[in-house]
Amino acid sequence: MNRYIRQITLPQVGLSGQQKLIKSKVLVIGAGGLGCAVLPYLAAAGIGKIGIIDGDRIEESNLHRQVLYSSEQLGYFKAKEAANSIIRNNPEVDILVFEEYLTPKNAPSIFKEFDLIIDATDNLFIRYVINDTCVELGKPFVYGSIHQFQGQVSVFNYQDGPSYRDIFPQENQSAPNCAEAGVLGTTVGLIGMLQANEAIKIILEIGDVLSGKLLIYDLLRNSQQVFEFGKVPKNKKTNISPSFEMIIAEEAVLKEGILLDVREMDELPEIQSENLLQIPLSILAQKQEDLDKEKEYLIFCQSGVRSLKAAQYLSEKGFQKLKLIRGGAKDLIQVTKNEKSIS
Amino acid sequence: MIQVKYFGIIAEAAKRDSEDIGEENVTLSKILSDLSSRHNLGEYNFQIAVNRKIVSNYSDQKLSNGDEIAFLPPFSGG
Repeated sequence: MNRYIRQITLPQVGLSGQQKLIKSKVLVIGAGGLGCAVLPYLAAAGIGKIGIIDGDRIEESNLHRQVLYSSEQLGYFKAKEAANSIIRNNPEVDILVFEEYLTPKNAPSIFKEFDLIIDATDNLFIRYVINDTCVELGKPFVYGSIHQFQGQVSVFNYQDGPSYRDIFPQENQSAPNCAEAGVLGTTVGLIGMLQANEAIKIILEIGDVLSGKLLIYDLLRNSQQVFEFGKVPKNKKTNISPSFEMIIAEEAVLKEGILLDVREMDELPEIQSENLLQIPLSILAQKQEDLDKEKEYLIFCQSGVRSLKAAQYLSEKGFQKLKLIRGGAKDLIQVTKNEKSIS
Repeated sequence: MIQVKYFGIIAEAAKRDSEDIGEENVTLSKILSDLSSRHNLGEYNFQIAVNRKIVSNYSDQKLSNGDEIAFLPPFSGG
């Protein structure tokens, strides 16, 4: 216990608080910019069991903000390397590594192992999967996300409090991620730290938790504002639970199925492939007859929002062989580029 | 005077973080449709907060002098 003596000294923590931390089980989804801030502080504080799920590998363009990784680790799985890094600080923590992406399929069985979920992802589609799974299993989750120099933090589904769908019920819209919008390391670092702080408060049962409150932090102006919200009655919600298999771009180009691009015709990057079919979501209903129910469609867009809508629509029309491509056009362009350079 | 604050991608679309508008005793929905067409916000997803409280149903809410409206889009970077 000497390791934790400085935090045990706090009257709000004490020995009983430290026991709560040691008994707690926290899942961190995403070992990117936010995850790299959340993970070391949870481990150092003595969280008993930490799960890390991320199917990404370390890229050079990650290193300016994902400070758990080094130049020698390019190409390695983030989840494993993050685990190696935090275990050096605190070997007492039990770490579970999942070198895969979270999907609607694997989410329930993974979430069951943990009491608290931390959303450190950069993907709106996955956020709805996290939210809906947490609501179903009755687990709170700590949300954090950034846009350039601003960050949002909130705690959803905490003690029967509101969920992410109570603020943002619409799934059919997109929002840019870091690759598209740019980000400073300090911004994700600070927002991730606020997430870790909320997680520790929840476990210790101290202070005011950001449940029913959306904190917006503006790092350019050093201002923070809190917006309150409540639960929206169920009948007003559009509750669409996605349940399509997701595959990564590398896998998608190797399959025989048709790559279905549901973006508008002029959106970039332009994907070139012999197996490509482009039907913008806006005219999918008119063009649906051009599609063959016997064939497999691997659907993508920019952020994963429109591809989900398209899959839901086609599924209603009786199409069964539908998959979603994770990372969308951004990942596909990398893979199709590589293909060309090989040939 | 009503103060309007824009966050995230909405601030980029509106090319400003905030603005003051002179109208008083108007409904929230009227102001929203005016701002939405002035700044081309139609294609964006956002929630509206009035005086730091997110409103889920704003069809006939009236605004008065000193009120603050905020446009809150979902963020997705991480």
